[in-house]
Order: sequence, then C-alpha cells, then structure tokens
Amino acid sequence: MTGPEDMQAARNAAVAAAARLRLPLRSRSWRGQAGEFAGSGTGSSLDFQDHRAYAPGDDPRHINWQAYARTGSYTMKLFREEVRPVVDLVMDASESMFFDPAKAKRSLELFHFIRESCAASGASLSTHCIRGDAARMLDPAEVHSHRWLDAVRNQSASDPAAAPNVAKAPVRANSIRVFISDLLFPGDPEPMLRHLGQKHGSVILLCPWLESEARPDWSGNHEFIDPERNTRHAHRIEPATLRRYLDAYANHFALWKNAAQRHQAAFARVPAAEDLAGALFREAVPSGALESC
Amino acid sequence: MPAFGNPLGLLALLGIPAVLAIHFLQRKAKELPVSTLFLLEHTRREAVGGRRIERLVPSIPLWMQLLAVLILTWFLSEPRYPREGSVQRIAVVVDSSASMAVFKQAAADKVLQAVPLLKGSASEVSLTVLESVPERPRLHAGTSTEGLAEALEAWQPRDGPVDPTQALRLARSLVSPEGSVVYVTDTPSATPLPFDAVEIAVGEAIDNVGFTGVSFTREEGALIWKAMVRNHGKSMAERTWSVISREGASEARVLRMEPGSITTLQAAFPEGATQLRVVLSADRFTLDDVLPLVAPRPKPLVVFNASPASIQDLSGRLIRALESAQPGNDAASADLSITAYNPLDPSPPSGNCVVFVEDETRTGAWLKGGIIAEAHPLMDGLNWQSLLVRETIPLEQKPGDLVLLRQEQRPLILLREAGQAKQLLFNFDPALSNLEKQPAFIVLLHRFAERIRSAKIAPVSANLETGQALTIAAAPGLPLSLRATDIEGRELPAPKGGVRRAISSPGFMSVNQGDTRLLDAAVHFGDPREADFRLCAASDMTPGGGAGAIERHTKKDPLWRAWILALIACLLVSWRFIRGGRKEPQPVTT
Repeated sequence: MTGPEDMQAARNAAVAAAARLRLPLRSRSWRGQAGEFAGSGTGSSLDFQDHRAYAPGDDPRHINWQAYARTGSYTMKLFREEVRPVVDLVMDASESMFFDPAKAKRSLELFHFIRESCAASGASLSTHCIRGDAARMLDPAEVHSHRWLDAVRNQSASDPAAAPNVAKAPVRANSIRVFISDLLFPGDPEPMLRHLGQKHGSVILLCPWLESEARPDWSGNHEFIDPERNTRHAHRIEPATLRRYLDAYANHFALWKNAAQRHQAAFARVPAAEDLAGALFREAVPSGALESC
Repeated sequence: MPAFGNPLGLLALLGIPAVLAIHFLQRKAKELPVSTLFLLEHTRREAVGGRRIERLVPSIPLWMQLLAVLILTWFLSEPRYPREGSVQRIAVVVDSSASMAVFKQAAADKVLQAVPLLKGSASEVSLTVLESVPERPRLHAGTSTEGLAEALEAWQPRDGPVDPTQALRLARSLVSPEGSVVYVTDTPSATPLPFDAVEIAVGEAIDNVGFTGVSFTREEGALIWKAMVRNHGKSMAERTWSVISREGASEARVLRMEPGSITTLQAAFPEGATQLRVVLSADRFTLDDVLPLVAPRPKPLVVFNASPASIQDLSGRLIRALESAQPGNDAASADLSITAYNPLDPSPPSGNCVVFVEDETRTGAWLKGGIIAEAHPLMDGLNWQSLLVRETIPLEQKPGDLVLLRQEQRPLILLREAGQAKQLLFNFDPALSNLEKQPAFIVLLHRFAERIRSAKIAPVSANLETGQALTIAAAPGLPLSLRATDIEGRELPAPKGGVRRAISSPGFMSVNQGDTRLLDAAVHFGDPREADFRLCAASDMTPGGGAGAIERHTKKDPLWRAWILALIACLLVSWRFIRGGRKEPQPVTT
C-alpha cells in the first residue's frame, strides 16, 4: 500500500474529504505573514478596526484626513491585519503505520488530507516525518512525486520501535501542530504533547486505528511478528490474556485522551474501516480536530 | 469397583493422546504481524510462550472431545458391577513332589497373588487346596486367604513325581465348571493341563548335590557303608562331607564333582554305634544333604535243609546265599524247611517249607506241552520255558493249592497256605529235570524265603527311604507304636497313616509292639528324580476368571443408555463450538 497508485488513490480520497472538512484555522487569531486570515494585530486589510491619535512614526497614508479637516488634529485610521495560518504536520513514519494495507491507506489519506486542507486555506505547511529518533522534513516536490514514503521508511533509526522523537521536528510559533500517529508505542504522552504544544501552538492528534487492534480475536498459540523490529514472539493467548490485552489497549488510549485534554489538544481516533470523510465527520469533527466547510 | 467385561475397550483411551495431538497440531502457532506487542507485555504471566507443554489451549471442544473419549472408553469396556452374594470357587492343586520344598514360599506367594485375580468381581471366594496326590486330605478349605497362607506354610511336600491328573479331576469336580482350578508346580508341563486348569510354575533350575542311595558290605568282619552322591546340577560343584555319630563329627572333607557325576563315599560303620549321619554341606534342597544310617540287621531266617540228595548241594548253596540265613537242626524250630516228598511214603509237609518230589522209580517220560506260569508275585518276570521235566508220581493236590506253574494240565509248582504256614511244592523230582540249571528256580526260592522272613515276627534294623511302604510282621491284637525323630533328634509327630509307611522326612524311627522292638530304621531321602532340578522353571501364566466369571459375578451397567446419550451430547457440543469458532477470517493484522 505504498505504491504510486495507492498514493494517488489516498490523495484523491483526501481531496474529496478536504472539500467537506477543513482544519479549524478560523477558530483562533493568527500572527505572521500576510494572508487570508484575520490577524490579531493591525494591518493593511480593508477591514476598519479603530481610530487613535497620530504618533510620530505612523504611516502617514493611514491618517484620516476627513477627521483632521473636522477637528484639526491628526487622527490615525486603523485596519485589521490579514495573515497566513501556519500548520506543522508531524507524521509518524514508524512501520506500524504502514504494515497493514488498510491502516497504511488511512494513514496516507490523513497525511494528504492535512496537506490538501492547508493548501485550500492557504496555510503555510511544514511537513516532518519521524521514525524513531530519525526525522526528515519533506520537500513539497518530493511529496508530489509520491516517493517520500519510501525515502522516509528507509531511514535508519537506532530503535525503530521506540516512540517517535517529536523533538526532532522543529515547530513554528503560533502554528497548528497536526500529529498523525497510531500512538502504539510505550511511554508517557506528556513530554510529546508538551513539545508539540510549545510556542503557543495548537495540537491536533489524528490517530488511525484498526478494528483488529482494538478487538482482536486471538486465541491459542500465536507467533507475533513485530513489524518494526521484524522479530518473532511466541505467545499463548487465553481468554483471560485477551481480556487483559483489551484492558491495556483501552487504558493506553485513555491515557492519551486525558493527556490531550490537559494540553487542550484535539484528539481524534480515525478508524480505518470506514471511508475517510465519514470517519472524520464521526470522530474528528466532534472532538474539534476538524470543522466542516 | 466395577469390573470390565471387555478390557480391550480400555484401548479407546488411546483416543486421548490422539485428541490432544490433533488439537496440538490444530493449535500450531499462527504467524501474525502485530503492532501492539508492548501492550501484551502487560499479560506476560500468561502470554509468554516458548514452553511447548503450555501450547495446548484448553477449549470447550477439547474438553468435550476428551470427555467423549472417556465416555466411549467406559462404554466400550462394558463396566459391570458386583452382584451381591456371588462366590468364586477356587481349587488350588499343589505339586506335592519333594522338589517343591525348595519353592514352597514362592508357590505360596504366587498363589496368594493369584487369588484376587481369580476372585475377579465375585464378592466372596471359596478356597480349596489339594495336594497332587489325590488320596491325601485337603490342605485347606475355607474363604480366607489367611487360612490359605497358613495351610501352605504348614504344607510339607515330600512325594515323588506325581501325575496331577486325578487331583485336577477332583479339583474340577469340587469347583464345578464355573470355578477355577490352579495347579502349582515347579516343572512346567509340556502339554496343556486337563480340566481347564491353569498352571503356575514357580521352579528354578538350581544346582543340587545330594545322596542318592546307600549300600552295606562286610569286609574283614567290618560293616562298611557306601553312600552314593550325585551332582544333579549343570556346573562343577564343591561340597564338604562329614560323618556325625554319637562320638562326634569327623573332620569335614572336600568333595568336588563334575556335572552329572556320581561319587561313592564309604567308611566303616563305627564299632558299637547303632546309628550315624553322613552330612553334606547344605544347598537349597536340603532333603538329600543328609544320610541317616543304622547298622542294618535283617531278621534271621533259620533254614532246615532236608532236601533230596539230588539237590542237596544246590539247596545248601541256596541257603548260604540267603541273607542272615542260619541252618536249623529240625523242621519244628526252623523258619523254613527244604524237604522231600516221597510218593511211596507220603507224609504231609508241615510248617513253612519247600517240598520236592523224590521219585525213586525214575522211569517217567518227558512231559510235553506248553509251560504256563500263573500271574503271581512269586512268578513275576520268571522264564520257565526251558524247563524239562520227566513224569513222576505227583503230589497230592489239595483244593486250596494255587498252581504257580503248569505244563499242559499237569501242575509243576504249587503254593499251599495251610494256616500260617506257606509251602512251595515242586510237583516233580528235580533229579529228573533240569531245574538246577533254571535261573527262575533260584529266584523263586529266594522270593519265597523272603516271604517267610517278612512274615516272621522279629526285630529288624533297616535303612529306609522316606515314605517307603512298611510291612512289619507283628503279633495280632496288639497295637504298634511308632516313634520318630528328625536328623537332629527332635521328636516328630506320629504320621497320620500309622506305621504303613516310613516317615516323610529324613530321620530315625522305631516301631514297637508293646515292649517288643520290631523295627529300628534310618530314613533317608532317596528319590534322585526329585533331586534333579534341571527341568524346573517358572512360567508367567496369569490366571483370570475370564469373561464367563465376570458375567456370573457382575451385572450390567444400568446407565449404559445414559452414557450413549452423554457421548452424543459431548460430540454435539464439541461440533457446535467448532462450528461457532469458524468465523469469517478477520483482518487480524496487528
């Protein structure tokens, strides 16, 4: 599920979904480069904001000459600033995201959805792929050529099964940080969310998941293959064992959900079994990770 | 505890490993890529694999199938429950030959082990123990194995080889066709035993060296005993032997014997001693390791020789050849007279005598016709066909006379018993015959003389074999008393059979009538057939009551229909869960 055709299919699905959904860019005020979104400061847009007395150094082009004619004092006319939103996309490129065709498809769809959504809203997008402690910033041309995933998966990490080191992905101030990951790695979510939320950023967690992970029908002897390390592990699964696994699975994502709430991050688990738009409408919109157009 | 009418049904238990193997193979580890291995770490206690014994996953189909196998096994083995009051009759015939003395304990152990097997499912057991000599009384009859053990403990096998057929017939008649007959021996029989008897052989081919017989001679006035010793074993044997008398024991001497060889030990009987023992160093069969001896002293036989002149020389030699024969001076005081009968001057003979016709005419022709001997112990095995006799004047024949030999119709030798007197009558003149050259004549005279001697009431000292039949001449009306001691001089209980036989164990015995000593005897074991253990062996024929006994003593399982239903239910439940478990394959890909 990583061939060019698959990539294009995932992108097509993402484009369709992006026509109906978008990132919640309008729900906050922005600073930065000029763009289409109202900034938090004064700018040169056509939207009138306020009047104030002239101060030396002000742009004389914004002096309200009609008011000067009436009052004899210089009065400055202030307009709203228009800026471009900034989005930092952090993609978990660990092998667990791509070893299963359905999950790989959903991961790629989410990846392209964010990109398409940003493109539609004129946001400044920065894309990082992280595989363990290896990180790579994607060039837009590389993404368009659909060769980025192979390059990312060929990165060598000291421990491919380790949690993605998001610190290797530099985030920009005041940006929206979208982290696409299945979150299937051990460890405390706090440091990761703290890093993603630094510099006044907003965090959105999009988590593709499989039904077979959430409710597996394991029974008996299994030789589990760790896709990240490519190692084999003999396990005997009894009903009690399976119950404990399900508890651990539920606890793991409850931990992430609680941590996301503490960091005011939008957290959406996107099932791989449904179509992208439907899954996003059902999971991402209620959680505030996305909004409808 | 139920019995199984079809023990082969227990083979169905092999279905358990088969089911486990099938489940084990079915449960072969499935390879599955999983991205949540770190979550499985929480279940490490149960989930970590690697130990094959834990690889089998218990499941309802597995338990149902195992239960089905157990029910099927139970059903196929046809369990049967004991029937109240059922009795299994068991008759044990023990080989009473002397060699069994070595294996008595092993025989008792085997029998006690076999009793529960023979009892089978019966609630009671009736035990009868017989010896292989059918005329002996039963050793035990009862229901307790303790009594059986005590009877076998007290049992003393001392007989020679015995054909057990009659005892087995008796045993079968005692226990009926439904009972069990067991024959315990030390020598397995080559052919199956009759009367459906089960053989338990407990023998062992042990080495044995022992005395096989004794004889006495006189050399230079001294009484010499000669004892034969045989190595019955298959290997070289070394023993020591010594003589123990009242004066003490001689120095032990070493005796080395090749397998199967016979050696004669001899020594002079000590002057003045009445009894002694020759002792070999002991082996497992102890009966023939000691030879008790008394100085033999047969009854004296006083013979008065008044035979015709023609056979005077012959009769004189005959008398000298008789053991302990003494010449008598007159017929009245003699035990036996050899006299002549003159037909011309006939006078009836009196007392014990041998009478010859003395025909002075000497003109008779040779008798013709076939010579016919009467079937009589005196004539047993004697050949008279070469006897040539001339016609003489015959004896006067009396109605009670028994013709021992006749030629055509003419009696040649007669036996007359007149009261206590026994008379052997030769109805021809030996001078007119070749009687003197007939070996049968010599043997006949010896036999007759020994008859006279055995009927004489007189003390005798003899060396006997164990169990040997006794003929003790005694005065009528007075009882005989027997006293017996073993080798060490310990008193033995009086034999139940009275004085008809010698004691069954080596020792000394005496028989008195009132104050009159009639017999002093040393009794030794002298049956070399029983001392030879080369054919002894053990056999592992396991006795059992058989299917018939199980049917007799048990009743059918009343729940057999329920077991069938339970079996079907187990299979249906197993099938249901197997079907239910075969869901459409899900994308199990984590």
